[in-house]
Amino acid sequence: MSATTGPVAINTFREAVRDRVLYNLIFFALLMMGAAILVGEISIGIERLVIIDLGLTAISIFGLVMSVFLGVGLVSKEIEKRTLYTLLAKPIERWQFLLGKYAGLLITLAVNTAAMTLGLAAALFYVGRPFVRSDASILIAIYFILLEFALITALALFFSCFTSPMLSTLFTIGVFVAGVFAADIRNFGALAKNPALKGIATLVYYLVPNFQNFNAIAAAGHGDHIPASLVGQNTMYAVLYVAVLVLASSAIFSRRNLK
Amino acid sequence: MTSVSAKRISWVAAAGIPLLFAAIAMLQGRIDARIPTPAAGQENLILSSAALIKKFSLGYEPLLADIYWTRSVQYYGDRVGVRGSKFDSLWPLLDITTELDPKMIVAYRFGAIFLAEPGLGGADRPDLAIVLVKRGIAQNPDNWELNADLGFLYYWWMRDYPASSQAYLVGSRNPKAPPWLGMMAARIAQKGGSIQTSRMIWSQIYDTTRDPTVRKRALEMLKGLKAQQDEEQLNQLAETYRQRMGRNPASTEELRSAGLIGGTPVDPDGFPYVFNANGESKLNPKSTVSIPREPKTPPQPFK
Repeated sequence: MSATTGPVAINTFREAVRDRVLYNLIFFALLMMGAAILVGEISIGIERLVIIDLGLTAISIFGLVMSVFLGVGLVSKEIEKRTLYTLLAKPIERWQFLLGKYAGLLITLAVNTAAMTLGLAAALFYVGRPFVRSDASILIAIYFILLEFALITALALFFSCFTSPMLSTLFTIGVFVAGVFAADIRNFGALAKNPALKGIATLVYYLVPNFQNFNAIAAAGHGDHIPASLVGQNTMYAVLYVAVLVLASSAIFSRRNLK
Repeated sequence: MTSVSAKRISWVAAAGIPLLFAAIAMLQGRIDARIPTPAAGQENLILSSAALIKKFSLGYEPLLADIYWTRSVQYYGDRVGVRGSKFDSLWPLLDITTELDPKMIVAYRFGAIFLAEPGLGGADRPDLAIVLVKRGIAQNPDNWELNADLGFLYYWWMRDYPASSQAYLVGSRNPKAPPWLGMMAARIAQKGGSIQTSRMIWSQIYDTTRDPTVRKRALEMLKGLKAQQDEEQLNQLAETYRQRMGRNPASTEELRSAGLIGGTPVDPDGFPYVFNANGESKLNPKSTVSIPREPKTPPQPFK
């Protein structure tokens, strides 16, 4: 991280902590404690599975909400509070500012996710199961969730560069939902007889981020092996997509009239 | 606002909020009393399409599968042993569960039990249980236990011994499968339908299951099969007695007096067997042992 983006990133993280963003960890802790105590009472044979599924789903949903709502506020809050003007008066490029804000939110999400991972581990320990080698797939699933956060934050940042926070939120959620249904878009294209429609569906399929790539919750729950090649491919996919979005955000934000 | 009034409002809130919630709860109780509660078995699944639920899960289908499995268990638990209960929603619940998480082995294995058990014990749909377990095998080809379950379903509920033997045989080809699967396949192919084979199957279930409920059920079945075997032997001895004495035996004591048996045969609960007026051996009325019910006509496979 460069000398200019680093301080912005650290300040963004500090600001998030000051804004009590990490309070969501209390809800997560309560959820995991409740689940660990109740799971044996309400179901049979799937105590461990429920804890893993619930833990990973909660990590994903809590993080998604944070990514969207904090992501859309990264730029707009600075403009609203007029702190952006003070910042940009310093020797910092707009793209560096954006990158710093983005990295700061990613640090916040990573810290939050790490804390929730510890909570999940504690809940698993409570239900009386020693950790085994196949539990590595849980960590990989969490890593995939983090990649998903990186993509969603980048999407939120991108939309917030040219529209209002409300619309940015709607657009980000819309693209997320479209990304979840990416495979259906492709299948729709494959079934279409019209070549133009087929072409549009294929284009949309490659254009929207495919969030199904990062879904490894089921595999983690069943202790399935997740190949290293998939980890590499997903990492590359997220890096490339984030690069596109951050570049586009920087280009738009650099030209934006801030008066 | 002064600190005094701030303190006052805090006290009012602390006392007032619980009171207001109590009033809300009472009011809701009154409203609920006006609306009749739906009778058991009348509730419907709002969404019964597994594919649709999977689509709308937005990638969180594993947790939804857990929820649906828990609902299945509770649904079954609410109805099992209750006279007049119907299990109409059991199959859709299990269908959704296994569609959402095709690797949830427990849903196939226990779901098959819930579906197959007759009378008050389940939905009496072994055909659907077979569909469920076959789906499980297709999704989890490495799991030999599902093949054993399929073999059991064909054997016990459908009386389809060739299909049962085949299911055990397929399972025995799994490198992780224990040797008894292959032995079972051969045994059923050779002597399907005999009490000894049935006892062998239930003994394996008793020895291999990790679930206490299934273990208890297997023990009950083993006791019932033992009693059934005893009754068959006693009936043969009663026939010999009849030929020798010209009348039916009234008790096992008479068989002993005639030198046909050495002691007083007792059922697995420890109660002596009795004879009815026709000279057929029966379980003692005090006994809790139950002879397994055999379907007169095996159910037809689900299409």
